[in-house]
Amino acid sequence: MVESLHPWIALLIPTLPLLAAAWIAVGYLFGWNRGETGERETAWVALGAISLSLLLLLVLDGLALSGNAPGQIIVGDWLTIGSIQIHLSFLFDRLVLVMATLVAFISLLVTRFSVNYLHREAGFQRFFLVLSLFNAAMLLIVTAGSAVFTFFGWELAGVSSYLLIGYAWHRNTATANATRAFVTNRIGDAGFVLALVFSLIWLGSVEWSEIPTVVNDKAIPTLEIGLIIGGFLLAALAKSAQLPFSSWVTRALEGPTPSSTIFYGALMIHAGVYLMLRMEPLLTMVPALMIMLLMIGLLTSLYAWLAGLVQSDIKTSLMFATLTQVGLMLVWIGLGWFDLALLHLVVHAIWRSWQFLSSPSYMQQVQQPAKPAPAWLRKHPRLYTAAMQRFWLDDLSDWLLVKPTRALAHEAQLFDEQVVDRLIGIPSHANMLSTLSRLEASKQGLFTVANEVGKGRGLFGFIFEWLAEAMQWLEDRLVLPSDGGALMKLVNYLGRHLEKIDHLLAQPRYLLLIIMATIMVVL
Amino acid sequence: MDMHTSNLPWLSLLMLLLLTGAGLTALAPARKARWVALLTALTALAVTLLIVIGFDSELSGFQFVESKPWIPTLNIHYLLGVDGISLLFLPATSLLFLLVILASWNAIHSLSKLYFALLLLFQAVVIGIFTSLDTVLFFLFWELSLVPLYFLITLWGQGPNRRYAGTKYVLFMMTGGLPLLLAFVILAIQPDGSYIFNYPGLISVIGENRYQTAVFFMLLIGFGVKTPLVPMHTWLPVLALEGHPATLATIVGLKLGAYGILRFVLPLLPETALSYQWLLAGLGIAGVIYGAVAALSQTNLRRLLAYASLSHVGLVVVGLATFTSQGLQGAVFQLLNFTLIASGLFLLTGFLQQRVGSTDIVSLGGVAKSMPLLTSFFLFLGLASMGIPGTSGFPAELLIILSAFKAYIGVGLATLVAMVLGAAYFLNTYRRAFLGPADREAVIDAVDLKNRELLMMVLISLLVLVFGFYPQAILDIIASAESNWRIIVPTGM
Repeated sequence: MVESLHPWIALLIPTLPLLAAAWIAVGYLFGWNRGETGERETAWVALGAISLSLLLLLVLDGLALSGNAPGQIIVGDWLTIGSIQIHLSFLFDRLVLVMATLVAFISLLVTRFSVNYLHREAGFQRFFLVLSLFNAAMLLIVTAGSAVFTFFGWELAGVSSYLLIGYAWHRNTATANATRAFVTNRIGDAGFVLALVFSLIWLGSVEWSEIPTVVNDKAIPTLEIGLIIGGFLLAALAKSAQLPFSSWVTRALEGPTPSSTIFYGALMIHAGVYLMLRMEPLLTMVPALMIMLLMIGLLTSLYAWLAGLVQSDIKTSLMFATLTQVGLMLVWIGLGWFDLALLHLVVHAIWRSWQFLSSPSYMQQVQQPAKPAPAWLRKHPRLYTAAMQRFWLDDLSDWLLVKPTRALAHEAQLFDEQVVDRLIGIPSHANMLSTLSRLEASKQGLFTVANEVGKGRGLFGFIFEWLAEAMQWLEDRLVLPSDGGALMKLVNYLGRHLEKIDHLLAQPRYLLLIIMATIMVVL
Repeated sequence: MDMHTSNLPWLSLLMLLLLTGAGLTALAPARKARWVALLTALTALAVTLLIVIGFDSELSGFQFVESKPWIPTLNIHYLLGVDGISLLFLPATSLLFLLVILASWNAIHSLSKLYFALLLLFQAVVIGIFTSLDTVLFFLFWELSLVPLYFLITLWGQGPNRRYAGTKYVLFMMTGGLPLLLAFVILAIQPDGSYIFNYPGLISVIGENRYQTAVFFMLLIGFGVKTPLVPMHTWLPVLALEGHPATLATIVGLKLGAYGILRFVLPLLPETALSYQWLLAGLGIAGVIYGAVAALSQTNLRRLLAYASLSHVGLVVVGLATFTSQGLQGAVFQLLNFTLIASGLFLLTGFLQQRVGSTDIVSLGGVAKSMPLLTSFFLFLGLASMGIPGTSGFPAELLIILSAFKAYIGVGLATLVAMVLGAAYFLNTYRRAFLGPADREAVIDAVDLKNRELLMMVLISLLVLVFGFYPQAILDIIASAESNWRIIVPTGM
């Protein structure tokens, strides 16, 4: 009896908030929940959905406690093609139940909190729409039975955090930060897709519960396991804002205080840790990656701790404190203490959400000014500056990635217009006498059509033009002084442009591009 | 190859319906013309849906086949038919033209009768391109498509250089048409002196032609110009800026060139195509990266979409070049997607142009204030074009990337780079055009999407979501052509 209900329960858990989001969106489209009068309904729908999800999870928790944990539930097929089969499935093991209950619980708290916090805000409905999307995304990340559906949630979380950071869309800083955060996360997403693709090719399965057994049965080489984990690792680092992706998370603070901050503080930032916990059976096979995880975690903790010491506003310092803790969680994973990491995650998420939720009223509760940076740090001016500047991470990525890409884009545009278009270009309009006035002018001798055979554009046009000129020159039996004008011009022209190309090639981005192209060809 | 006929000549009827509709539209009183056009487009959509329902995806080969001798001395036939590859392009085309007619409802101020008639004529020709199974007939439709397009661009274009753009487009396509015709003729001449122009016949004599390499390159150039492949793409950004957004939606939405490669190059010249697999994949990935990088620095939404389209069609070519069933199905799926997504985005820029008078980001900014719905739909379709899971872009893109990794790891990695670039160029331009403070009066005073426009966008978005969550519906139909593919293309797995 209960068994047959499992697929429905599983499906409803992440879908309920999604339906709430759809309901709010439809309501907004048709205009029945707009304005202050619609606030009540909007809030109830969002709250109701997440409460029901939590309730369903508690039922599953109860089942698990009585020894009937549902485990893997396959609801249906999403995509079948050739030998590849991707199920719509859910997984409820110990790790998932703990995480999912935590996620639903905190989501419920935040949703309830936001009802009052956003009262009479212009974007009330929009906020609850995005919030519900986010709740659905987090629940899906945690409960999905296959990596593909975890990725559904992963991206949905990315999109909704983009929308939350850019909540105040009329402010340029907010939208710029939202874009930056999303694009940074997209690097991690590329890693996720890489891992998905490698799993599909090498393992033939993306079911979380099947991956470990397949790896054992097929005796997959360590290198391939390493590459699969490497992809997931990249995704986890980006989502959890570990080095070198840390800078997006402080930009994420642009969202409405504190309801969006809590996601970076308490939920989404833990998604990466969750993914690594999920990878436990595979991670233990590749010690090198565990050591790497350890190092990254340590470095991030150190970085965030130092940078956090010199912050003067509460949200940023909370954020850095969070980063420190998340870094530590990765350290535990790197050391192989997966249970400790999970425990740390749960405790930290609850504690941090309480802190973030109370941060707006914190200023009233605390009378004294913020503590200055500790004395020992002030004694080391260089370290102090570095901490103040957050170790120039933002500038570094600007300098290394954003600027060269922009320059490249600009040059691609120029290349398109100046070279490709001219090379492929068509003959210019044969309209030397296109207007009557020109005809008149030519009759009166004020306007003469150049005495050449015709004007060509593009490489072919140029060749033909030159050919025609040469013929004419021959026909004139070399009477005219042979200036070879066209050729000279071409040589000069080419020389000038070759110089430009040479100059460009000397710049590092083109060197890198050439190296990348070479690697592509070699592979 | 199996050829299944049906009780009625459905495909000819469909074209006839559209041509009659075009004639009636041209003759109708000026105020009724658009209604006639709309009714015709609706009926056409209904007919194509009937064809889809009548299609049996269990059968291999072509269905709804109609065959009449046309020029018997040369063995040229009036031969129509659809298989799993071309079938879904029919409803996609019909839906696209319906949307375009709706989008042009109030946007055409001069010669509106002619405009709607030309649109229907163009639709009939496109249906002909997708259904003809005789290379001469195909070529006829292929070149015929230039006539309505030339007038649609030059007469109702919106840029000052629309005539130049129209001429440029037609000249490009004519230049591409020449090698195409030559290739078809060379393919047709058999060693024993007979001619074969019909597609199933050509399939049966694969590999007997002596000039396969030359034919391959001629077809590649012919179709590559239309696709467009880098570096033959320069007509697209020019056209994007000069043409009418609704017309552009049809050009960008229907990637006919890629269909040509899929239909003719790979099945008719499998060995040559396989030996030049590196070239196809290289051209594809060059388009992907080149388009994405060039899109980063665009300051006009329409040019941005043109380069984005270059990047997306590059991905389709990569999928084709892998010669795996995942790649091919992903490519067809992606082509179908873009009849919805790319044209939806172009239609939205058209709405914007109609309201604000420009799609240049310097004259936009803060559009979200006065047009929240337009802004939301633009973001949604943009996310779909990035292949965010949940939208139909994701399964298609996943399949293509998967197959790319199987064929060339380097190409696969490059598609991942394009994934990041895709988010960067779209969101950056989106931010500057739609978000931020609104300070232009034209933007502040503009009205949001009206019911008609809203209905179109809701329809597109729903379809995008449905096929994102249930891609199997599409893939099953495409897969029915798989049995043909297995014979004709040496697939991997």
